[in-house]
Amino acid sequence: MREFCLVGVALLLTACGGAAIPQESLTAAKAAVAGAEVGGAASDPKAALHLKLAKEYVAKAESLIADGDNEEAARVIDRAQADADLALSLAKETSAEKEAQDTKESLDRLRKQAQ
Amino acid sequence: MMKRLNRIALVGLLVQAAFGCATAQPPQELLDARSAYDAASKGPAAQLAPAQLDTAKQSLAKAEQSFADNGDKPVTKDIAYVAERRAELAAAEGAREKAARTRSQMDKDFKNSEIDAVAATKDRAAKAQAALEKERQARAEAEKNLADANKKLGAAMASLAEIAKVKEESRGVVITLSGSVLFATGKSELLPIAQQKLAEVAKALNDQGYQSLLVEGHTDSQGSAEKNMVLSQQRAESVRMYLISQNIPADKIRAQGIGSSRPVADNNTAEGRANNRRVEIVVTPLGK
Repeated sequence: MREFCLVGVALLLTACGGAAIPQESLTAAKAAVAGAEVGGAASDPKAALHLKLAKEYVAKAESLIADGDNEEAARVIDRAQADADLALSLAKETSAEKEAQDTKESLDRLRKQAQ
Repeated sequence: MMKRLNRIALVGLLVQAAFGCATAQPPQELLDARSAYDAASKGPAAQLAPAQLDTAKQSLAKAEQSFADNGDKPVTKDIAYVAERRAELAAAEGAREKAARTRSQMDKDFKNSEIDAVAATKDRAAKAQAALEKERQARAEAEKNLADANKKLGAAMASLAEIAKVKEESRGVVITLSGSVLFATGKSELLPIAQQKLAEVAKALNDQGYQSLLVEGHTDSQGSAEKNMVLSQQRAESVRMYLISQNIPADKIRAQGIGSSRPVADNNTAEGRANNRRVEIVVTPLGK
C-alpha cells in the first residue's frame, strides 16, 4: 500500500506542475528569436513565418509559466526554439542562394563581355 | 499475495496502455516530421549538413519513442513538432551549403574569367598596337616613296629643262628640241651632240615614267610641202629609233611627220624659221 501512495504522490507532483520554471531554455529561445531577426528572418517570407511562430510560442510559454504550468511551458519553449532556429537557417539559405545567383549573373555578364 | 496480484494488474494495465498507443494513429505532427526527415535525408543535407541531419534523426527517433510510449498525447505532438523543424533546418542548411559552394566555385570561375578577359583585352590591345605600328610604317614608307618619286621627277624635269623646252599642254607634256641642234640642214641623221641630248631625254623620261610617247617632226615653210613632210617623217623616225636604243620600249613610242603645217613662229624671219624647225616629244603621262 505504501508503494501505491508513493506512486500517487509522484503522479500528483508531476500533474500539478511541480517542475521548476524553465528559465534557462526560455532565455535561450528568446536569444534564438533575436538571432533569427538579426539574421534577416523577418525579410524572408518562409523564415518570417517561423519567426512569427517562435515569438508566439515564447509568449505562450511565458503565459503558461505565469499560470504555473511549467511542464507544458517547457515543451512550448522547445517549439519556440525549433522555430527560431529554423527561421535563422532559412534566412541564411535564402541569402546564400541570392549571393550564388548574383555571382552567376556577374559571371554570365563577364563571359558575354569576353566574347 | 494481495501485493503480487496488484503488481500483475498494474503490469497488465501498462501493457494494455502500450498496446493502445501502438495501435493508435500517429498524430499529424509525427507524420509531418517523418516526411520532413525523409525529404531532408534525400537532399543535399546528407552530404553537406550531416550533423544537422543527425540531430534531426535523433529528434525524430525521440518523437517515435514518445509515440510508442505515450501515444497520441500532446507531449508526442510537441516532440514531433520539434523533430519536423529539425529536419527542415537540416534541409535548409544543406541547401545553404550547396549554394555557398556553388557560389564559391563561381567566384573562382569569375576570377579566372576575369584573368582570361584581362589577358584577352591585353592581347587585343597588343595586336591593335602592332597593326597600328605596321600601318604607320607602311604609311611612312609610302610617304618616303612618294617623296623619292617627286624628287626624282623634279630632278628629271630639271635636267630636261636644261636641254630642251618643256611645257604642259592639253595633249600632254611637250618637250621641244631645236632642229638645228639635232640635224644638219636637209639631213635626217642625228648629230653626235643630238645623241648626247636625246640620251639625257631618254633617261629623264625613264626616270619620270609615262604612258606613251609621240615624236613629231616639224619643218619651216621653205621648200616643197611634200619634201618637208618626208624629211620631218624621217627625222621623227630617227629620234624614235634613237630613243628606242636608249631603253624606251618600241611599242610605247610613235613617230609622225607633220611637215610645215604647224608652225610655232613666223616663217618670214630667220629666227622664226629656226624655231619652226624642231622635234617635239609629246609625253602622255601615267594614268591617262
